Amino acid sequence: MSPSVVGRPIARTDGVAKVTGAARYAADADVTGVVHAVLVTSDVARGRITAIDTAVASSGAGVLAVLTHDTLPALTLPAVTSFYLKRFVPVQDDRIRHAGQPVAIAVADTLARAQDAAARVVVRYESAPPQVVLADALGEAYVPPPGSDGPNDYTRGDVAAGMAAADVTVEATYTTPLQHHNPLEPSATVASWDGDALTVHESAQGISITQNVLAQAFGLTPGQVRVITPYVGGGFGAKGPAWPHTLLAAAAARHVGRPVKLVLSRAQTYTSHGHRAETHQVMRVGATREGRLTAIDHVVTQQVSRTEELLFNSSEPTRMLYDCANVRSTQRAVRLDLPTGSFVRSPEAATGHVLESTLDELAVTLGLDPVELRLRNWSAINQETGAPHGSNHLRECYTRGAQQFGWSRRDPRPGSMRDRDGIIGWGMATAAHTAGGRPGSGATVTVGRDGTARIECGTQEIGTGTYTVMQQVGAQTLGLAVHQVTFLLGDTRYPAAFASAASATVPSAGAAVVRAATAARDLVVAAALADAASPLHGVAADRIGAEDGFLFVTGQPWRRVAYRDVMARHGAPISATSTPVPTPLGYSTGAVFAEVHVDPAIGRVRVRRIVGVFDPGRILNRQTARSQAIGGAVWAVGFTLTEHTLVDPHLGRVVTPNLSGYLIPTNLDIPDIDVDFIDRPDPDSPALGARGFGETPMTGTTAAIANALHHATGHRFRDLPITQDKILAALS
Amino acid sequence: MREFRFERPGTVADAVRRPAPGTAFLAGGTTLVDLMKLEVMTPARVLDINRLPLRGIDQTRDGLRIGALERMRDVAAHDLVRRRYPMLAQALEASASGQLRNMASIGGNLLQRTRCGYFRDVSVPCNKRAPGSGCPAIEGENRMHAVLGASDACVATHPSDLAVALVALDATVRLRSRAGTRDVALRDFHLLPGTTPEREHDLRPGELVTDVIVPDLGWASRSVYVKIRDRQSYEFALASAAVAVRRDGDTIAEARVAVGGMGTRPWRLPAVEAALAGRPAAEASYTAAAEHATDGVRPLRHNAFKPALMRRTLVRALLELERIR
Repeated sequence: MSPSVVGRPIARTDGVAKVTGAARYAADADVTGVVHAVLVTSDVARGRITAIDTAVASSGAGVLAVLTHDTLPALTLPAVTSFYLKRFVPVQDDRIRHAGQPVAIAVADTLARAQDAAARVVVRYESAPPQVVLADALGEAYVPPPGSDGPNDYTRGDVAAGMAAADVTVEATYTTPLQHHNPLEPSATVASWDGDALTVHESAQGISITQNVLAQAFGLTPGQVRVITPYVGGGFGAKGPAWPHTLLAAAAARHVGRPVKLVLSRAQTYTSHGHRAETHQVMRVGATREGRLTAIDHVVTQQVSRTEELLFNSSEPTRMLYDCANVRSTQRAVRLDLPTGSFVRSPEAATGHVLESTLDELAVTLGLDPVELRLRNWSAINQETGAPHGSNHLRECYTRGAQQFGWSRRDPRPGSMRDRDGIIGWGMATAAHTAGGRPGSGATVTVGRDGTARIECGTQEIGTGTYTVMQQVGAQTLGLAVHQVTFLLGDTRYPAAFASAASATVPSAGAAVVRAATAARDLVVAAALADAASPLHGVAADRIGAEDGFLFVTGQPWRRVAYRDVMARHGAPISATSTPVPTPLGYSTGAVFAEVHVDPAIGRVRVRRIVGVFDPGRILNRQTARSQAIGGAVWAVGFTLTEHTLVDPHLGRVVTPNLSGYLIPTNLDIPDIDVDFIDRPDPDSPALGARGFGETPMTGTTAAIANALHHATGHRFRDLPITQDKILAALS
Repeated sequence: MREFRFERPGTVADAVRRPAPGTAFLAGGTTLVDLMKLEVMTPARVLDINRLPLRGIDQTRDGLRIGALERMRDVAAHDLVRRRYPMLAQALEASASGQLRNMASIGGNLLQRTRCGYFRDVSVPCNKRAPGSGCPAIEGENRMHAVLGASDACVATHPSDLAVALVALDATVRLRSRAGTRDVALRDFHLLPGTTPEREHDLRPGELVTDVIVPDLGWASRSVYVKIRDRQSYEFALASAAVAVRRDGDTIAEARVAVGGMGTRPWRLPAVEAALAGRPAAEASYTAAAEHATDGVRPLRHNAFKPALMRRTLVRALLELERIR
C-alpha cells in the first residue's frame, strides 16, 4: 500500500497566494462603484444620546449619508440562536450600553472623506458613571439560565461528603483578565444590493451565520443573501458570531444605493466583536493522601454585559476531565457596562488554567509528582456524561511528554534548579478541550470527465489550512492524488457548513467531505463495473479499492483503471452531495511541559522551552496540525504572561486598543516548541479518525508555564497576567 | 483622519519660511501619521521634509553629528555609533520594531509623543492634548506612567529610549528657524509638564530639528543601555538605564547615568553619578548609588513597583558594564 494522503505534512496550497498578497480578503473585494462607511462610536459607556449634529459632517465633499438612530431604517433583531449574540442592534435608539457602541455611520465616496465626516459628527450624551470593575461587583453575581453548553450550575455526587472524606484540601482564588482576539485582519464587510438580493464579502468564520443573520435583520430569505469569504486573516472567535458592523454596512449600502465597504479600525475591534471575559475563580479540591480526588468545587464568576448573559469561559475541564465522583461547577455572571463578550480561542482555557494550577498546588501539598497525580486521576470516560471517549491516549501523552522533556531530572523543591543567570522552573499540566459536538456540514464532490475532482463546501479558511487539509481528505477518500482535487470554500452558494470555530472544522466539514467523496467514489466505481470494456467489469463493488487516481481490485493491483479513463468513457461528470450530520462530541487532550527561567534581580521571566504531546486522533496533515499546536502555545504565553485589555475604571473605555498597548508575544518571547502527536485514529470520528484539535494546545500550556513559575520561585501567581512587577514583588 | 494640505518644500529655508500654526513636519511618519489617524493630531498643513538634506552621520568639531532625517536603523548600524557610543546603538535596537526602525527618523524619535492611552483617545480628557480638560490617568490605569517629574496636570512617561542615552551623553539638538540656527542641550530641550503639559519641548513655532550633536566622550565606548519591559521586543520600557563609566583602576572616576520609563522626560541622574564617583567599581557601590536614583519619586496606584525596579535596572546596567572587556 502506498503512503496515505492524509497525515502528510503538505505545505498550505494557499501559502504562496497569502505571502505574495495575491489572496483576496474581504476588504480586497473588487466591487464596482464601492463607497466607504466609517462608524462613529460612543464616547461614553452608559447613558443616552441627547443630540446628534450631522450638519457639518453631511456637508462635506463626497459625503453620501450620515445615518443615525433617527435616520437609519429599522432592522429586525436577529435571534440569538442565529449567533447574533448582541441583544440589540445599535443605531436604532438613543440608549448607550457600552463605550464604543456604534451611534452613527458616515458614508462617502472615498475612505478619507468618510473618516473626515465621521470625525465631524457631534454627539451629545447624558451619561452616568459606568460600573466596569468585576472585583467591585462580585456581590451582584448570579447564576444565569442554561446556555448552549449546558447548565451553569452542575453537580454530581456529594461535594460536602467528598470534602469531608478528603485527607487534604486545597482552596485558592484565581483571576484572569479581559482579553481580546487581535486578528491581523480587522473585520471587514463589502455589501452590495441588487434589488432585494444582498451580496456580502465578509471577514467571517461562519458564512452561513452571517447569511442567516443578515436575512433575519432585513426580512429576507437566506437564499436572497450571498456571503463570500475566500480567506480570513485570523479570527480566533472574533468573526464567529455576526456583529453589528455587518448589519450596519448592509443597511448603509441599501440607503445610499451603492455598494459599501466598512472596515473596523483597530481600536474599534476592541469593542465590536466580543472578548474573553474577565474571571474570578474560587477552586476547592479534596483528595486522599494517595492523591485520589474526592471532591472538586469550582465557582467561576465572569463579567457579562447589561444586555447579554451568555458565558463563554465554560467549565468543561472541571466537569469532564478527571475521575472524581463529587463535583460541583458553578458559573456565575456579573453584569457590567462593557461590550458583549464572546468566545476567544480556547474558551475552556481560563477555567482549565485554574483547574490545572490548583492540581499543581495539590501535588505540592501532597508531595506528589504532578504527572503522577494526574495519572492517578485519569478517566477513561467523559465524567460529565459517563460516556466513553472514542479513544483516549492521554496517559501516553503524559509519559511520552515527560520522557521527551526530561521530567525525571526535575528536583521538585522550588528554586532548586539554577543556572548562571537565575532560576529554572519546570511545570506541567493537562491540555484538554472539547472538540466537535456541533452542527454538521454539507459538501458537493464532482468528478469531472478528466478524472479530477472539485469539492465545494461552504466552510471557511481561517488560517488553519482548511484548503489543504480538505483537499487531502477528499483525495484520500476518493483515491485520487492530492493535485487531482480542487477544494472550494467560502461561498454560501456551496452546501452550507458550520462555522470554523469550536475545533469543529475537521469533524464537521471534514466529515461532510468524507461522506460526499465516498458517495461520489461509489458512483464512479459503479460506472467502472458496469462498463464491459473495463478491467473491473463484473467485480463486486466491495472488492474495489481506489488510490492515487486509480480504481483497482483489492489484492490484484494490476487489475486497475484510471479515474480519467472511467470518466472519459462515462462521458459526464459524476456528482454527490452530503447533507449535514451533527458531529459527535470529541475531547482532544494532551500533556504540556514548560521550562521557565527567572532572573531574580529584575523579576524577568522567559519561557525557555515547551514540549507538548497531544492526542487529537488521527493527524490529517502533520504540518498544519503542528502549526496549530505552536499557535496554541504562543497564545498561552500571551494569556499567562502579557495579555490584558485595560479598561479605565471610571470611564469604561479600553485604554490599550492597539497592538502596541495590548501585548501579544513577539518572536523573542517564544521559545522552541516541541510538538508531538499520538496519531492514532479515533474510531468514533466521522472524519477519517481525526478529531477537532485547534483549541486544545493552548489549554494546559498556560498552567504549565504558571506551574513552572511556582517551581522556580516558590510563589503561586494566581492573578494573570504574571508580569515582571508581580514576580519582582514576590521575590523581594 | 482630518483633511490636510500636503506640501513638500525643496529646501530647509522653504520648510521653515512660514511658521503657520497647525503646521506639522512629516519625517518617518511613525508618530505623526499614527496620531493623525486617531485625530490626536489634526494639522491643517503637513510639510514632508524627507527630501531635505538633513542626513549624514559624521565627525565634526563639536562631536558626532547625526542628521535629523537619519533612520533609527541606519544610526544603530553605523560603525562610529557602535564603536564609540554603544549605548546609543543599544537604545535604538531596543526601540520599537524592525519595521518602525526602518522608517522612524532621529529627529522624530526625540519628538515622539507619549504612549499614554488617555492622550491617544480623543474622547476622554487629557491636559496634554486638551489643556485644562483633566488627567484621567492619575486615577485611572497608570502602570506605565511616570514616577519622576510628574505634576498634578500630567503623569505621562516620555517614551524615547534614544533620548535617554543622548541625555546621558550631553547631546545637543540643532534647531533651524526663520531666525537662524541655535543649539539646545537635550537635557533642557524636553520640558517638565508642570501646569502646561501641552508644551513638551523648547521648540519655537516653525522650528525644525536639523541635527543631533553628540559630544566626544572617549570613555563612552564603555557604555550600555539596559531596558526592562513586559515583552522582549516592540514594547516601551518599564525601566531603562543608560550608563557609561570611566574607571581609574578599580575605582569609578566618572559616570554618566540616565533612566527611561520613569520620567515625564528623559531623566539624567546627577546624584547617582556623584555617588558613584570615587567609589570602587563593585556591586555594593552600585547598589548604594542606585538609592539616589529614585529621589523624589511619586508613585501612582499601579506603578509603585517602578522605583525598586529602577534601582535594580541601574545596578544591572552597571554590572553589565563590568563584563565589557
